[in-house]
Amino acid sequence: MRVEASVSEPIEEFFERLSAGGPGTLPPRMRGSLRIDLRFGATTERWFLTIGKDAVSVSHRNAKADAVIGTSKDMFEGMVTGRENAMAGALRGVVSLEGDPTLLVLFQRVLPGPPAPAKRRSTTKGRRS
Amino acid sequence: MSDGVVKILDGNTFVVSDPRGDIEASLTDPTGLFSFDTRFLSAWVLTVNGERLNSLSVDDLQYFEAQFFLVPGTGTVYVDAKLSVIRQRAVGDGFHEELTILNHAEEPIELTVRVDADSDFADLFEVKDALKKKGTYTTRIDEDGLHLVYQRETFARMTTISASAPAAIDEKGLTFVVTIEPHGSWTTDLDVVTAVGAGGRMVRPKYRRGEQRARPNMGRSLENWLQEAPRLESDDDRLRATYRRSLVDLAALRFSPLVAGGRSLPAAGLPWFMTMFGRDSILTSLQALPFTPELAGTTLQALGDWQGSRIDDFRDEDPGRILHEMRYGEMTAFEERPHSPYYGCADATPLYVVLLDEYERWTGDRTLVRQREHEARAALAWIHDYADLLGNGYIWYRRRNEQTGLENQCWKDSWDSISYRDGRIPGFPRATCELQGYAYDAKIRGARLARSIWNDPAFADRLEEEAADLKRRFNRDFWVADGGYFALALDPEGHQVDSLASNNGHLLWSGIVDKSKAKAVVDNLLGPRLFSGWGVRTLAEGEGRYNPIGYHVGTVWPFDNSFIAWGLRRYGFKDEAATIAEGILDASGFFDGRLPEAFGGYERSLTKYPVQYPTACSPQAWSTGAPLLLLRTMLGLEPIGDHLVVDPALPTSIGRLELLDIPGRWGRMDAFGRGRVDVGRRSSRSRRKTRSRSRTHSS
Repeated sequence: MRVEASVSEPIEEFFERLSAGGPGTLPPRMRGSLRIDLRFGATTERWFLTIGKDAVSVSHRNAKADAVIGTSKDMFEGMVTGRENAMAGALRGVVSLEGDPTLLVLFQRVLPGPPAPAKRRSTTKGRRS
Repeated sequence: MSDGVVKILDGNTFVVSDPRGDIEASLTDPTGLFSFDTRFLSAWVLTVNGERLNSLSVDDLQYFEAQFFLVPGTGTVYVDAKLSVIRQRAVGDGFHEELTILNHAEEPIELTVRVDADSDFADLFEVKDALKKKGTYTTRIDEDGLHLVYQRETFARMTTISASAPAAIDEKGLTFVVTIEPHGSWTTDLDVVTAVGAGGRMVRPKYRRGEQRARPNMGRSLENWLQEAPRLESDDDRLRATYRRSLVDLAALRFSPLVAGGRSLPAAGLPWFMTMFGRDSILTSLQALPFTPELAGTTLQALGDWQGSRIDDFRDEDPGRILHEMRYGEMTAFEERPHSPYYGCADATPLYVVLLDEYERWTGDRTLVRQREHEARAALAWIHDYADLLGNGYIWYRRRNEQTGLENQCWKDSWDSISYRDGRIPGFPRATCELQGYAYDAKIRGARLARSIWNDPAFADRLEEEAADLKRRFNRDFWVADGGYFALALDPEGHQVDSLASNNGHLLWSGIVDKSKAKAVVDNLLGPRLFSGWGVRTLAEGEGRYNPIGYHVGTVWPFDNSFIAWGLRRYGFKDEAATIAEGILDASGFFDGRLPEAFGGYERSLTKYPVQYPTACSPQAWSTGAPLLLLRTMLGLEPIGDHLVVDPALPTSIGRLELLDIPGRWGRMDAFGRGRVDVGRRSSRSRRKTRSRSRTHSS
């Protein structure tokens, strides 16, 4: 029961998107391993990312990583849906960051912007992909 | 110090105190110990036997340390000093203070020495805007000392105060009861250590390895910094002093963001703007490139890492946009301010590409250009896709954060900086002219990088076509034919905001100006409406909003002038560039070599000296960089391939000028010049060929 209760669809979808190639904003030079520890009650759910040249692999391994992000599962769900900003969370102390700072900064780039976005989008001219 | 306050700093930790070394801040009084945009001490007051001390002198030995010589008493003319008190203070992550008391008497004395301490943990923004706090304060005393703690939900900040000598600690400070022998002394170390809460723990960034003292970052020694920079030899004492002042101040302005791995970029100003800024960090890096190229490298890396990646209206963020300003305080943490980071500026993104190319031309560091290809392409895409709010091929700006975002997202960012001749203010969005110049330059330089390093000639062709098209349209749409200059901006209807402003000089720098129009632009820049004798005014005399002491509407900005001089050189107007260089360097002599952010636009013949515009920050990074860029323009330094070309055009007042060991892709080279440009005769508009000698050799 605890397992079902802890499944967060936005989080699952976020990592699926990442392993499928990501939204394309990760700079190609980004490499390394990143562990995300999500607290949920007395349990911790772990996501382990290995970011290589062409692919991102995702597992639940509990291993040493170049950088570690720790936060509550609620907060992280807010981050992957754009309701919460990772940097502001880190400054408030709700998100803890350890390890390679560059990797952490580059990782926050894949997090989406707030929902209910602005009316204005890019102009009609072709947007680069 | 001229303003009666003493400022010392290390990175973004700084102390502002009175000349006694005391801190007595109120919410609106900007003294205290600050770190990461939070005030960690708002009171720090020393008394001896209940009496305040009197300052005899202050030595700010280095930018990170100061020494206060004090005596008891209240400042009568004759101080009967049986005692001397010396406070030597150094900033690290917090500060370390060595307090020494000397007894000059024949008898022993007993003293009660007291340090009162307190903190309001104000956010820098609260200090600026005098806002109320929302969290709670607690105080704790244990074997480590006195802990002052501030907590708002999960946000926690702590100041710990301890002493090496035995002290009675209470919640308001430390008391020492001491006896000093005849002609003896007593001393104690006082340590003030800042800590930031994270996940219920308190983290003291630099104290992980058992380090107890707040000490300056020793890796950034000033001597090394000065030794690495080129050496300047000149008959002109003033120029030598200004050069040294600039290098020392630039060292003080270094800021290491976490992503930079200990390397530094230029922060915008000391002490209130000791943080990463897009525009200021890039422009200062450009000014300093021939002298300290590593600043540009770090700027490109850190700003690139933080490049925008999503649409976020609160932060005015778009994919590819380069940030405006980063802050770390409570109001940013709780999203009462958007600086985590804030992206609302329209020029940093094209200027990022400009800096990347200029950096490679000087240093030959192709690796960094390859590493940052992704960011540079995203920046160029931002210009093309996101900045063009009206879809007509120009960079426009209009903030989406209506509460706390910036209205004017160009360097002239005050509310009334953009106006028509008759003083009216246009609506939004606005397309200021210099932004179009930067966009043009970014495309041309991006094309060079695409062709020579990214191996993408098709992209290069496309950028060059876009640049050519932009230049053609710009010279048609912005040209004020009856004035012979480019309009300050276009308004939302596409009409010209037709004031004459210094922005024309930046257009020369960017290369967007048609050759046929350059002479008329230069005549305006050095004509009586813009040129004050010291430099080019931000807005021309005679415009509706002109005011010689208006922030962006009539004052002279040294940084602005340094880029104008660069623009004049680019179009071959060497004498005019030398004229501006001389005016600004003359002005620097009135400020001990430390140019202010801006000074009054009064006619030079009227005031005889430059009237400083009052600003909170000194030194200001891009004013510090201005003499460096002026040296470059006077010597005509230009990297061509693997060579450094020197083509001097110096004012006669400078005499001999040698800049030795200029670093770059050529290794180290020397440049020599001799003053030949008679600035006094410049007004006759007789442009002569300069006969300046030039030679270079490898050293």
